Amino acid sequence: MWRAEIEGLRLKFHLAGINNQNFLMRDEETGTYWQQISGAAISGPLAGRHLTLVPSDELTFALWKGEKPGGTVLDDLAPFVSRYAPKDWDVRMRQAPTVLSYPENGIAQRDLMLGIEASGASRAFPYDSVLKDKLIEDHVGPEPVILVVGPDDQSVRVFERRIPGVSEIPEFYRVSPTLFMDDATGSGWNFQGCAESGKSQGKCLARVEVIKDYWFDWRHYHPATTVYRR
Amino acid sequence: MARHGKPGRTFLICSLLCIAVAAAVLIYPLYVIRPFRPQAPRGLMAALAILRYRPWVMIVCFLGSLAAAIWYWGRETRVLRRVGAAIAVIAVAAMAVLSRVNVYEMMFHPFDRPSFSSADRSKLNGDEKVIAIGIGREARAYPIRIISYHHVINDLVDGVPIVATY
Repeated sequence: MWRAEIEGLRLKFHLAGINNQNFLMRDEETGTYWQQISGAAISGPLAGRHLTLVPSDELTFALWKGEKPGGTVLDDLAPFVSRYAPKDWDVRMRQAPTVLSYPENGIAQRDLMLGIEASGASRAFPYDSVLKDKLIEDHVGPEPVILVVGPDDQSVRVFERRIPGVSEIPEFYRVSPTLFMDDATGSGWNFQGCAESGKSQGKCLARVEVIKDYWFDWRHYHPATTVYRR
Repeated sequence: MARHGKPGRTFLICSLLCIAVAAAVLIYPLYVIRPFRPQAPRGLMAALAILRYRPWVMIVCFLGSLAAAIWYWGRETRVLRRVGAAIAVIAVAAMAVLSRVNVYEMMFHPFDRPSFSSADRSKLNGDEKVIAIGIGREARAYPIRIISYHHVINDLVDGVPIVATY
């Protein structure tokens, strides 16, 4: 998800091609070509610029609806409903061939990864491992982070592992599908990263953007990535 | 019978040049930017540069082939050869028209101004994945099964233009 404007110029995007199984977009206003996954302009008058990321979450509908009951949902475009993918589309795609191959770390090219960038570093977390562990404390470069699986056992959010106003780096542990606690303030935190009880009640952890991507694609755009291992 | 020198040869050179250039700028990007084939950085950049300038190249090729045909018609009286000259112009025009076809948009139908329904009234299954965003006072969910098909949706959320991509 990207802001469709750059330096005050509003842009309308078209689907323009493919680059190693990742789509290219072209803006109507300048004719610049943009890489969909990175938001980078790769050819044209705006080459070298980057679109601004719109923070987003990949959640199950029920979980999102519970958090945002007043929200709105994109409608189907009637003529194309029969062509829409099944809901487990990303899992089914694991069997599809790839044009790039990075046979490293014993990871299959279409294994789903949760990719995080922080402080110039990048790190990939195998999605299946995250779902199994439910809560992972780790670092991306020097930044301590925490990955938390939601109460639906499918959605994942990532937060900075720092409590506002607390100097020590806390340790977190999961106490239920809807609650995790920290050892620094003894507070209970929900999946939105906000403390519901304890000394930190009312505080929220800072969100960290995470991209769910196939290994080959993440690795292609993040050649220096490290990989989390259990 | 030609009235002046060798108009057939001059026409042939001009016409074939226009056809060859038009064909090259039509086919090269299609060849490089195609699914299930790796794109090398240099080839991709060349293909994208061609795509950016292709409309002007096609116009020049069409006008060039048209001018050559008109010039040839003024000097050639044999019907069959005149028809050949016309076919050459039509071939360049056809390639110019084909170059305006966006195969990817024909396949995936990206769209603008999407419509939304309230979460309460949505018939979406609870376990369907959505990409959720919040801008200003608006919270929106884009079902992955929809955006993974259309790939690009231009939207406006609380006055902010965004492009929903997948």
